[in-house]
Amino acid sequence: MTNGILELARAAGEAALATEGVHSLGTGRYAEAATYEGAEKFTGVVVKPDELEVHIVARYPLARPIPELARLIRERVAAESGGRRTLVVVEDIKVAHEGL
Amino acid sequence: MRVFNRIVVVLLLVGLIALGAYMVVYSFELFGYQLSDLSSVLNGSTSSVEGFVSDVENGSLPTLTIAILAAVALLGLILLFMEFKPRRPRRVRMQRGTYVTRDVVKDEVTSAAEETPNVLGSSTTVDAKRRPGAKVRLRADVRRGQDIKALKSDLRERVQQHLARTGVPLGRLKLKLVESDPRQTKTRVQ
Repeated sequence: MTNGILELARAAGEAALATEGVHSLGTGRYAEAATYEGAEKFTGVVVKPDELEVHIVARYPLARPIPELARLIRERVAAESGGRRTLVVVEDIKVAHEGL
Repeated sequence: MRVFNRIVVVLLLVGLIALGAYMVVYSFELFGYQLSDLSSVLNGSTSSVEGFVSDVENGSLPTLTIAILAAVALLGLILLFMEFKPRRPRRVRMQRGTYVTRDVVKDEVTSAAEETPNVLGSSTTVDAKRRPGAKVRLRADVRRGQDIKALKSDLRERVQQHLARTGVPLGRLKLKLVESDPRQTKTRVQ
């Protein structure tokens, strides 16, 4: 059981997934977007000392413009970010039934 | 710039391997090369360098050499400038703390372009800008004999409106309309 950045990443990831318009968490385009602690990792959220990067795949059709979706995610994640600045990275837009 | 750096490193390594091979050949006196000959070979190249330097000092360099040296200096200056220039970001910045990948912008532009009447196919290139927004180059295939000017304006408007609805800030949109044979484009004619 780990208590630390991995838990924080999980909580932030769950908060982001609960936002309407989020299809799934992203995995990173140019490098894996994940938080590592011990032998475990959580993909989709990168916890940095002063930043929290949330990688998402938005649901198509977009319920709202991307900046608004990002604002909602930031609001939800804020409580889990431990005071870190939240960055939202939209990696893709997928049709709801795709990959489910 | 990354490609240029790779070329430089490859050339440097090839040079080092060649030098290493020379050293092995001369050290073990292979293929009739003697270590004692090495000093005369080196003396030959040293004297040619000395000759060149004295020519530079005397100001008696041939015009062609001056032109080559100036070109090399200019190339070095350009490369130095490019090396110092900050790298273009990979992701498109939308607003404070929100980024979108170039592929998302590309897909949205392609979808808007291909929904435009008379556009038979398209190809899109997206570059992220350091400021918010994307630099988009869109090449659209259209049927021959169309009013290119009107089509271009319609296409520009549709792409801009679509991206505005999505919330992706468009920095610059460069359009190129190419008259194509419908049999060879993505959208076939019924």
